[in-house]
Amino acid sequence: MIGFIFLFRRECHRFMKVLVQTVLTPLISATLYLLVFGVSLGSQVEIHGAQYLAFLVPGLMMMGLMNNAFQNSSSSLVSSKFTGDIEDLAVVPLTRSQIIWAMSLASVVRGAMVALTTLLVGEAFYYFKYQSFIYPEHPLWLMYFILVGGLVFGQMGLMAAFWAKTFDQLSAVSTFVILPLTYLGGVFMSIESLPEIWRKLSLINPLFYFINGLRYSVLGFSDVDVTHASVLALVFLVLMHFLARRVLSRVSFSRW
Amino acid sequence: MEPLVIDKVTKHYLREGQPAVEAVKGVSFSVRPGEIFGLLGPNGAGKTTLISVITTLEKPTSGDVTIFGHSVLTEPLKTKMSIGVVPQEIVSSGFFNLEELLQYHSGYYGLRHNLPRIRQLLDRMSLTEHKSKIMRQLSGGMRRRMMIAKALVHSPKVLLLDEPTAGVDVALRNQLWDFVRELRAEGVSIVLTTHYLQEAEELCDRVGIINKGELKYVGPTKEIIKDLTQRKVEVQLRSGQVIPLIMSKGDDLGVILKLQNLKLEDIHDLNIEEGTLEDAFVKVLSL
Repeated sequence: MIGFIFLFRRECHRFMKVLVQTVLTPLISATLYLLVFGVSLGSQVEIHGAQYLAFLVPGLMMMGLMNNAFQNSSSSLVSSKFTGDIEDLAVVPLTRSQIIWAMSLASVVRGAMVALTTLLVGEAFYYFKYQSFIYPEHPLWLMYFILVGGLVFGQMGLMAAFWAKTFDQLSAVSTFVILPLTYLGGVFMSIESLPEIWRKLSLINPLFYFINGLRYSVLGFSDVDVTHASVLALVFLVLMHFLARRVLSRVSFSRW
Repeated sequence: MEPLVIDKVTKHYLREGQPAVEAVKGVSFSVRPGEIFGLLGPNGAGKTTLISVITTLEKPTSGDVTIFGHSVLTEPLKTKMSIGVVPQEIVSSGFFNLEELLQYHSGYYGLRHNLPRIRQLLDRMSLTEHKSKIMRQLSGGMRRRMMIAKALVHSPKVLLLDEPTAGVDVALRNQLWDFVRELRAEGVSIVLTTHYLQEAEELCDRVGIINKGELKYVGPTKEIIKDLTQRKVEVQLRSGQVIPLIMSKGDDLGVILKLQNLKLEDIHDLNIEEGTLEDAFVKVLSL
């Protein structure tokens, strides 16, 4: 257990050492999204009776969470592969499960920091525009989706990093898998505004359930039933953990 | 119980479209408590692969390794607690300073409060003044010493040193060997791979010579030298003449002198030069 705690602490300590890169940079992009889409372009738009700015905030929170959880575990492992200290993970007495959970929980911490600071920035924009705040409707669901979302994407990052043989391969996962699924998962729009075919396709996008689950937690409405989203999120977590264990038992902990 | 037993370990690497590479072929030997065992061999002989199998970095294709009776295949957590490893290639962890690295590494072994040991190791490795630096800010030799400190942070009973002195200057190398001798005196069993055969000769109680994945010889260092090398004897006669002679294992000097028609009263001095581990090593590889 102590080994697990130390690995978790180390992973958190690692991203705290490069806070500008790990938290400030995603926060600046979220701020720009809020400014351009929420405040400027979306000022005349309402979705489910809510201002577009309020609609956008939970989407951006989940986008920041997913990206940063993925990047936390993947960049930590890839840099370890590069510097050689990945071999430490193989020779110290840590189980595969301890490695997976410690690294993915640290990913949750980073993802949650980005998500919550995005919420704070969103609150500031919302207050200046509408003189009121967005009050999260279901704080427990909010915690649930942050935790499960962070774990899923933390474990996905871990798998991608173990699989990747080069930096390019890792960035290909981000660019060709995570990014399109995020944008098509309803960060910026409700699937109700999509043509039928795209609406159906959105339903098989796993990220759609995380984004809408978080949106329900903050605003009290979403494109999908929250129970449905929460169960699917949990199924994704179990699946991801199973895959991560499998990957870790097969891959090499050798340096590049 | 033997600290380390290598039992018929074989390791094959499969490469797509190519025949399997047999890096280690049925190697067996054991390491005794408090001994320095030198694992010697040319580049690509299979030394590092064998160390990777012991540390669980690689799974053997067949065979097993036990550390104090625990198998690396079935009880890896127990075996990992007992071993420390200094890998051949230098690690350059980028985020943490030396003290932080050693604290986290201690934590992985369940050691929450290990600062006294960490400070002792930093001091022993002459790294105390650099404890707040990150690895990238250190020279190659310092990094290697840091890796040794990391391997010892949990006071392992078996220490694997894979080329620990590559790139370390002479003074520090001697300091390191003194430390290795101290560890041996404390009962730590040490497996050492090195290309400095003279140092291996001075340090190692026993050696194993591996070539192309096969263990060619295992035995006490002194014995291998005696068995496989020839002694050079220079007989200086009272007349000033010097006669060079070669003695193999089991040869009787008296008989040789007699064969050379040399009488004891004609001999002014004898100079006997023992063979070296390097000679024995070359001989084993040529067999």
